[in-house]
Amino acid sequence: MTKTRKLLYLAVGAVLVTAAVLSVIVLRHSDRVLVEIVQDGTVIQTLDLRSAADQEIRIESPDGSSYNIVSVQNGTVAVREAGCPDQTCVHMGALKTDHLPIVCLPNRLIVRFAEES
Amino acid sequence: MKMKRMVTLAMLTGVSLILFIIELRIPNLLPIPGVKLGLANIVTVYAVFRYRPQETALMVTARILLGAMFSGNLSALIYSACGAFCCLVGMLLLRKILPEKQIWLCSVIGAMFHNFGQICAAVCVMGSLSVAAYLPILLVTGSIAGVLTGLTAQLLLQKLRKSGADIA
Repeated sequence: MTKTRKLLYLAVGAVLVTAAVLSVIVLRHSDRVLVEIVQDGTVIQTLDLRSAADQEIRIESPDGSSYNIVSVQNGTVAVREAGCPDQTCVHMGALKTDHLPIVCLPNRLIVRFAEES
Repeated sequence: MKMKRMVTLAMLTGVSLILFIIELRIPNLLPIPGVKLGLANIVTVYAVFRYRPQETALMVTARILLGAMFSGNLSALIYSACGAFCCLVGMLLLRKILPEKQIWLCSVIGAMFHNFGQICAAVCVMGSLSVAAYLPILLVTGSIAGVLTGLTAQLLLQKLRKSGADIA
């Protein structure tokens, strides 16, 4: 029994260390300029932050019961308003990292950096 | 199920719902989707070690459905349900090999399972793998929260047993 427990400790430790290292990688700031707005797995809009004018884009949720307002300002993109109760995507602020998109789980919306093609 | 047991389970569900609602009032330190303290899991962990698996599953199901209704965030139901299901399965398996002194470890691994389930649901629903990038952060924060809730449940179990107030 103690052997199983030792293995458990090792497994938990390994997972945690890997997760910590990956977190650091994932949280690095991005230098990309192309932004994609994805809803339900399909890209609905692409923005170039170098040339995009300050604007606000209203996006209805797939079932039409809610919405998000994505705002572009001074070359940064953020969700300014959301029609859901938890407001996590609004609190996340501007999009900064390559790997961590702004996600609105209730409205199935993702705002993320895209690779230049 | 005996009446007394049913009432006790209903009370536990009530306690976990109260914790759930108190937690909604606490501002989130990290504005990352899926990051939560998980106070209601104190009750889940306690129940895993104190009640039969079916009873615990029943209680957790009731908590999740009612919690989604009370918080008005029905669309988040699928993520929390998937997470809670994975977490419960993981903890019920671990309960067999872990003694009561190591409830905290069970809770940590449960939290990891929860995050995994959550992300799987999110990947399926959003139709995009990019949300999986949140998994490492969720694992780290989830484990910290898991230690705290697990230790609380462990302490609770010991104290209740000592005072003879352990109801089951």
